[in-house]
Amino acid sequence: MPAQLTPDEAAVRTAAASTTTTHGGPATAVATATATGPGAAAPEKAAGAPPSAEVAADESRLAALGGGVARWLAALGGAFAIFTLFLLVKGANPVQVYADMWTSTFTNQPSIEQIFIKAAPLLLGALAVVVPARAGLINVGGEGQILIGAVAAGGIALAFDSSLGGGLVIVLMTVGAMAAGAAWAGLAALLRLTVGINEAVSTLLMNYIALDILLYLIYEPWKDPNGTGQPTSAELADAAKLPYLGTTSIPVSIVFALVATVVVAALLRYTAWGFRLRVVGGNPEAARRAGLPVALLLASAMVVGGALAGLAGMVHFAGVEYKLRTGITTNFGYIAFLASWLARHNPVSVVLAALALAAITVAGDSLQIDANLPAATVNILMGLVLIAVLGWTARRKSNGGAKR
Amino acid sequence: MSSLPVDVLAGAVAGGTAIMYAGLGETISERAGVINLGTEGCMLGGALAAYAATATSGSPWVGVLAGIGAGAALAAVHALLVVTRRANQFASGLTVMFLALGITSLFGAAYVGRQIDSLDPWAVPGLSEIPALGEILFDHDPLTYLSFVVGPAVWWLLYRARPGLLVRAAGEHSEVLLVHGYSTTVIRYVAVVVGGGLCGVGGAQLAIAYSNAWFEGMTVGRGFIAVALVIFAAWNPLRIMAGAYLFGAALALSPALQARGYGINQFALDAIPFVVTLLVLALLGRRTLLAAPDELRRVFETRTT
Repeated sequence: MPAQLTPDEAAVRTAAASTTTTHGGPATAVATATATGPGAAAPEKAAGAPPSAEVAADESRLAALGGGVARWLAALGGAFAIFTLFLLVKGANPVQVYADMWTSTFTNQPSIEQIFIKAAPLLLGALAVVVPARAGLINVGGEGQILIGAVAAGGIALAFDSSLGGGLVIVLMTVGAMAAGAAWAGLAALLRLTVGINEAVSTLLMNYIALDILLYLIYEPWKDPNGTGQPTSAELADAAKLPYLGTTSIPVSIVFALVATVVVAALLRYTAWGFRLRVVGGNPEAARRAGLPVALLLASAMVVGGALAGLAGMVHFAGVEYKLRTGITTNFGYIAFLASWLARHNPVSVVLAALALAAITVAGDSLQIDANLPAATVNILMGLVLIAVLGWTARRKSNGGAKR
Repeated sequence: MSSLPVDVLAGAVAGGTAIMYAGLGETISERAGVINLGTEGCMLGGALAAYAATATSGSPWVGVLAGIGAGAALAAVHALLVVTRRANQFASGLTVMFLALGITSLFGAAYVGRQIDSLDPWAVPGLSEIPALGEILFDHDPLTYLSFVVGPAVWWLLYRARPGLLVRAAGEHSEVLLVHGYSTTVIRYVAVVVGGGLCGVGGAQLAIAYSNAWFEGMTVGRGFIAVALVIFAAWNPLRIMAGAYLFGAALALSPALQARGYGINQFALDAIPFVVTLLVLALLGRRTLLAAPDELRRVFETRTT
């Protein structure tokens, strides 16, 4: 496989060089728009060859790291300062609130477990953004793909969880949910490749269609006849629930998510597929000239992303919820989208981003219990942190933009 | 009870108005080259601000002004991020949505269940007597009547007036503005903030005229419907008006049927705006996308790395 890469790579480099230099009119537009991608990625690769350049790059990277840490601290400090202002305006004692948030989020086992429980679908949902982003696609549809994954898992559970063994049902749910998520995202890819609908638009619209499918099912065909109150589907059989990790109450979802992270990171970094996705993402025109199957690559990135989001829906259903209900995802897909941006679409940093956002979500519960503020108040903190990171931690756009 | 079509159409006008305001606001913003997924947040902010200001001041018109202010302020955050700080527009918009969700839940809890002096429907004397048409068009709240004028006004502003020309230039050929000594940055800020203000009116209409209530997350996706509507309407304010009523009718159909004893699952109907938008995009395909402002197309094509 790797031997096959070299001619590709060379061809791409020359093609990339020719497109950026020769075309005056339209190409300049593309070049400015995509300056963050190919401009940053291609020269870095090229510089990797002579060892001296590598050392220099390492040093400058180290310096950049120092600057980066300072920028991050300043940005996050600003976010917390503004959140403090909100608390003051509301008449809450910020010191007390922060102390409560800290103790009830990080100093007791149930809360720490909650962070890992919430992080699992967030991480998978974020990976569902990372993979398409590598190919230059924007997948805003995590929410819908997660919902469809949960719906598929729920349907399989209703059909088989009383007749088949628990382990087999889990396998079926995993496969079914991933297939459903992949199909849902694949539809968006198909729409883009055939009739030219932008995937950011179609995935966004399809989120609501997925939600309506879920609601339709639990209000009628799949409604639990024995349920009371809000309609839900019947509860998953105990044998088919995801087991807990050891003696904790964390379902194995987080293991699914971490394994998926390793696999995705490896696929993107070490396979020809991962490399080609980056080429397509950097400069589709160059990729086309180099003879890469661009349409197939775009579709595969989207489908893999959808499968990951579908898996997120399954682990959330079979690990936490056990029933399909209204509001089953509570915006997980959108939070995961932002987690991916927080991590700059890096499949490793995304673990930290998912844990951080999960921790903020869990802190919301402590706000409600200890500070008597609505749980959704933490969305302010989340919004401010994201604003700080999106707007004030990237390197200046003029010299090549944010790394990666 | 009036006949089903009249009922549905009257419901379409009443329920479509909030979506229309938000869609018109989003159109102005997107015409300048900025897509704002925070529309949902701007509507929520507008809804709470309008409700709270009405409850405090006793005047719904003060509420409307507060709604405009809140929508504009949230949109300004988006403008700061995408215009000045050059953050990704999708990520920034969703961030603003979460910010608004948080702020409205923090400050809104006190207003759940509060009674207000709302904007009541006012039947236009004479016109409301016209059979069918009178009930559909002329028995609504004042903000709905205002929307009959605002839609064409936005069209006129964008296509016949100088400010609109500047906004469209910012979305199509920003370099032309530069040559003529205008600042694209300023124009985009104005367009995004004015657009947010209109979204705020939409939220206000929802809270103090349509539902007469405030509750957390009360816009339930209307902001996203508005984003779909703008694409559906190919960035044209007049088509926004028609589309808003079409989507409003889809939302009004199931309550009207249920009131007549037809058991219908409303969620199948709720999906209509999104399915129809996708179908229109699929049928018109690239032609719709070509109607998009150039700078906006560039946003869609921006690599995410």
